Amino acid sequence: MTAPAQPTTTARHRPPAWKRLSGSEHFAGWAFVAPAVVLIAVFMLIPIVWSLLLSLQANDLLAPGHYIGLANYKALAKDSQFRSAIGHTIVYTVLFVPVSIVGALALAVALDRKIRGIRFYRLAVFIPLVTSTVATGILFLWLLDPTFGLVNYILHELGLPQQQFLQDPNQALYCIVAMTVWGWLGFDVIIYLAALQGIPEDLLEASQMDGASRWSTFRSVVLPLLGPATLFLVVWSTINALQLFDEIYVTTRGGPLGSTTVIVYYLYQQAFQFFNAGYGAAIAYVLFIAVLIVTLIQLWIGRRRVYYTS
Amino acid sequence: MKRLFLLIAASALIVAGCGGSSGGSSSAGASPHGHVNITLWHGYTDVEATAIKKLTQEFNATHPNITVTPQFYGNSDYALQKVLAAIAGGKPPDISYLYGSWAANIATNPTTVDLTKYVQSPSWDWNDFWQAARNVATVNGKIIGVPALIDNLALVYNKRLFQQAGISPPTANWTWSDFENAALKLTNPAKKQFGWAYVNDAGEDTVWRFWAMLWQAGGSILSPDGKQAAFDSPAGVKALTLLQTLAKHNSIYLDNGSDNYPGVFTSGHIGMLWTGPWDLSQINTGQQPYGVQILPGDLNHQTISGPDNWVVFNNGSARVNAAVEFLKWFTSPKIDLKWAMMTGDLPIRQSATKQAGYQAYVKKYPGIGVWVQNLNNATQSRPVTTTYPKISTVVGQAVQSVLLGKAEPQQALSNAAKQVDGILSAPS
Repeated sequence: MTAPAQPTTTARHRPPAWKRLSGSEHFAGWAFVAPAVVLIAVFMLIPIVWSLLLSLQANDLLAPGHYIGLANYKALAKDSQFRSAIGHTIVYTVLFVPVSIVGALALAVALDRKIRGIRFYRLAVFIPLVTSTVATGILFLWLLDPTFGLVNYILHELGLPQQQFLQDPNQALYCIVAMTVWGWLGFDVIIYLAALQGIPEDLLEASQMDGASRWSTFRSVVLPLLGPATLFLVVWSTINALQLFDEIYVTTRGGPLGSTTVIVYYLYQQAFQFFNAGYGAAIAYVLFIAVLIVTLIQLWIGRRRVYYTS
Repeated sequence: MKRLFLLIAASALIVAGCGGSSGGSSSAGASPHGHVNITLWHGYTDVEATAIKKLTQEFNATHPNITVTPQFYGNSDYALQKVLAAIAGGKPPDISYLYGSWAANIATNPTTVDLTKYVQSPSWDWNDFWQAARNVATVNGKIIGVPALIDNLALVYNKRLFQQAGISPPTANWTWSDFENAALKLTNPAKKQFGWAYVNDAGEDTVWRFWAMLWQAGGSILSPDGKQAAFDSPAGVKALTLLQTLAKHNSIYLDNGSDNYPGVFTSGHIGMLWTGPWDLSQINTGQQPYGVQILPGDLNHQTISGPDNWVVFNNGSARVNAAVEFLKWFTSPKIDLKWAMMTGDLPIRQSATKQAGYQAYVKKYPGIGVWVQNLNNATQSRPVTTTYPKISTVVGQAVQSVLLGKAEPQQALSNAAKQVDGILSAPS
């Protein structure tokens, strides 16, 4: 491409263009990645650009929309329901991320040993992850049913007061945290288990030789070496938490009294229940920017704090 | 989330595509021999799936120039998105089953066929369809659909629980206070027994039962010109107060929206339900002896109906004509009753009750006759406007806040009315 244009008289001595192209290594490379590039372009890039355009329109997806500039974004800035959706999402994320990561670390350490039936225990922890969200949702709806649920039955047997759980606006969001931690823990555990098994034995032995207790070995050797895994899990869980939708959709549908209406559920309501698709797209873009900023901050902190062995 | 994002984006593509693809030649769709193939999209499963297959075969056999092919589009909840995608792709179905709540929205699409001039021909006998069904098929005076389904709410009660509590069964003249007293007497927390059930997901299921009560007390949803909320009225407060009283006494099983109430009813824990024929197959299991009665009343015994439509899309005049001919046949009194017999759905024509086969139908589905008669009480409909989903959401929250004891009826309604006024005055 950067070569100077050839005089036309010499063109006839060169092989035809298609031969030159198909013979080059560049061509082979592009040919190999083309299917993936096309798929990504069609199903990711074009939709991303289109939803940006959509966010600048008043559009109900039924009739052709029209351009309204930044009106959707301006309306969002004044939307009190959107603000409370942000509040619910933050509360959820702030609880979900640390609880699931600390919980997973504890479980991973417990599962990182050679005992009988370890495969079974690991499988048991992993199964919720591969259970469909709908099944998980229905399971928890029944477990937490105020009248006929198992949890209230146990509380009753223990002489504790009955709870409304998902039907109480003050408890529902915390129930969702518990449900999603249970559902996603398996993934975090797998990552931590892999990281734990990647810790060189000689480091652990060396710290033992130096007389370190099990706790200080864990704190000063194991934990720093789990840094990269932890950073990954923090970033990944945060992104997931900010995009919470499925679990809300199959259980509380944003209620009771809007107490579990998180950002993406609000987006769904606007776009597909109220037919404000342009407004929904604007919410998606605000969320996208927020996720991007949060992730960059996390990675920036991570770069200064996380220790990489290589 | 990712799926949702893609869905929006894909929908954006669809809309973008909409601009260029409308039109097409007017004689398209007919083959040189004058034979027309049309498609019908539906979400029927089980007995209804069998019935639609059988009846379209019957139509095809008796109408050699037309072939109707029924196609299953999955869950009806997502039909609108699929139909829109097909319109954008330039290949809409000729006929599609669509929820009545979408009528106002789908009417704005240029591909939707205005059926007014067809169905007003005397041979259709349009006024024979139940009032509620006609209302929902009509958007701003334009008829954009043919009734596909009609239902309504009636009172289903557990005869055994009534006997145990020493209450005489509900009559057609039951008042709200009869209902309230019965519900309270049927309540027994120790046995986890409730007088009534109410869907408390703040969705449309929460809202429409409230509308029925509002109408019974003489109230209306919107002002006659449709520009203001009218439910913030003494009738509205009275209706919500009834809900509040029963909720306070733990007389209501609050269903979380996953439709557990029929199961709880058949396990003998609920005395009364306000429900429709769609729950009949779950209730009629022989576990509990049940009866069906029209709803209790205040000033009147009105009920509410949620009809759905067959909507026709423009694929050229030959196919539109064929689609209309099929729908005319399919909703004719004879075939309508046949469909009802096969599926247990209510007949969508009033004349069905006078047909010879009607008695056999009522016998086959015990209790169904009350729902059919109750259609006479379904005189009002929800507003057929594009803003209705927003109105419903606001009112759902108001009803839920009272059920959960978080607000007083008057306060909840005033607050909701203010929001609805805002929605109605917003430029669309």
